[in-house]
Amino acid sequence: MRSGIRDSMGVRVGKGVNYALLTVVALICLLPFVHMIAKSFSGAVAVSAGKVTFWPQDPTLNTYRYVLQDGLFFSSFRNSVIITGCGTLIALAITTMAAYPLSKQHFRGRKVILLLYVFTMLFYGGMVAIYVFMRTLNLLNTLVCQIIPLVLSQYNLFVMKTFFEGLPEAIEESAHIDGAGHIRTLVSIVLPLALPSLATIGLFYAVGYWNSYYHAMLFVTRPDAKPLQMYLYELITKTQNLFEVDPVIAAGLSSSGMQAAAIVVSTMPILLVYPFLQRYFVKGLTIGSVKG
Amino acid sequence: MLKVKPVRKQSFIMYFRGNWALYLLSVPGLIYIVGYKILPLIGLQLAFKNFDLFAGNGILDSIFKSKWVGLDHFEKIFRSSNFSHLLGNTLTISLMKLAVNFPLPILLALMLNEVQSRVFTRVTQTLVYMPHFLSWVIIHGIFMTLLSANGFVNRALGAAGLAEIGFYTNPSVFRWLLVLTESWKESGWGAIVYLAALTSIDEELYDAAYVDGAGYFKRLIHVTLPGIVPIVSLMLLLRLGGILGAGHEQILVMYNPTVYSTADVLSTYIYRIGIGKLDFSTATALGLFESMVGFILMVSANRISRKFLGRSLW
Repeated sequence: MRSGIRDSMGVRVGKGVNYALLTVVALICLLPFVHMIAKSFSGAVAVSAGKVTFWPQDPTLNTYRYVLQDGLFFSSFRNSVIITGCGTLIALAITTMAAYPLSKQHFRGRKVILLLYVFTMLFYGGMVAIYVFMRTLNLLNTLVCQIIPLVLSQYNLFVMKTFFEGLPEAIEESAHIDGAGHIRTLVSIVLPLALPSLATIGLFYAVGYWNSYYHAMLFVTRPDAKPLQMYLYELITKTQNLFEVDPVIAAGLSSSGMQAAAIVVSTMPILLVYPFLQRYFVKGLTIGSVKG
Repeated sequence: MLKVKPVRKQSFIMYFRGNWALYLLSVPGLIYIVGYKILPLIGLQLAFKNFDLFAGNGILDSIFKSKWVGLDHFEKIFRSSNFSHLLGNTLTISLMKLAVNFPLPILLALMLNEVQSRVFTRVTQTLVYMPHFLSWVIIHGIFMTLLSANGFVNRALGAAGLAEIGFYTNPSVFRWLLVLTESWKESGWGAIVYLAALTSIDEELYDAAYVDGAGYFKRLIHVTLPGIVPIVSLMLLLRLGGILGAGHEQILVMYNPTVYSTADVLSTYIYRIGIGKLDFSTATALGLFESMVGFILMVSANRISRKFLGRSLW
């Protein structure tokens, strides 16, 4: 905010144009989603005729009724909830535990451990290697094999470490003088201060798990172990087949209306949580990542 | 008040006694890294072997018992025309994305930085960050309904008497679809880093420039832009370091056989021959090539950045 500075007429017009352009950009981000929502609430005939733009035509809840009653949708939704819930908790715990010692300059072995994390961040062993890993441990077609790959992101680890490094040393020193060990200091003094960072990183992990389908594509073939994203992927790419399947048409549904409903339902959890965490993650993102 | 700790050489045993908890805390992360990231690297020997699933008892044993063939797989790969084609696709898509999607977040950040209304900024930011949180599957679903043959856009084109565009079937158009859907997903999110740099520019510099009679554009060129040059250079270097990553998660979801000719990249091909055809040896060899080149590029980018910009990722 440069309140002291007065702008010329031309610049003021330019700023008006800037507002207009930004509004267009924001609408481009928003409208495709509004179109989906409108479609999901519209009657099959209107959807098939392409009449729906940004407002539902012949409003109906049939699509949602159908999607929510689909056994595969339910099981994949449940799988994704379990994977996201367990995965995020484990990931947060491991990341915090790993980051704390690394934030201490005096921690012996720090350099070696950091090197391990950096190396594994940069060198990808390849999909065959991890496929063999899962197959050897008999983890194919389980939920565990979808949790393991994302359980520690080095990037998040470094963000957390940078946050810990930024805490004033005096706080922890006074805890040590009071006789608290490292673990008690971490749990009762450092973590409460780190709540915004934990929320940010927790959001990143949760979104990562909720949205992941790549590892399911590698490891999962059994329908009842599939995550939500895979269910959606199959729903979207198999449109043509769905048209031939009778129940859909019989129920008075269009396949694209159904897709829209499934997409809306699976995006809701993220869209409901994210605006509340926005103010945290902007901060969380910028303190970490880049070392000055 | 900072207390300076006395410098003394403590034996490791003494140090460990006082700080065992730090090591205990490190254990889960280390188990994960060593167990899941380092140990599976023994599978890389497949690149130098002819994988025979039935050579041993179980897949791991089979890997060890398969026959060594030296660099045969690499020779075969580098000689095939398919390889240069895949590498070409990878680099083309990557460079197209670089050309479009690298400047966009910077531009967006500069635009947002000019906005004085807090409410407007908040609302705009919320909306432009949102697509980052959607999965490629969902984005694919959204754009399919908009851009497929009987989607929203093609119907509108038809109504206006214009020719349909095969966004998903025309090989050269599909590349732009990849570029622009990535713009849609990541431009807003990418702007965060630059916005942070912009807001940390000292206000007094602007005031001083104003007093010196610098107009809006002079202030932009002499104050704003120099303020973000370091972070822009760093981001550019990192992007160049990751040039072999054309975005395989996105392509894997969005492509289809009609556009393989322009959209099949190294990693999607590896997925198809590895998991699809179970040709583990070729998949591993190709993956190893990709990983090695990627690793070298990233390390070089970081080194260059540290030397010339004084900033680095690690």
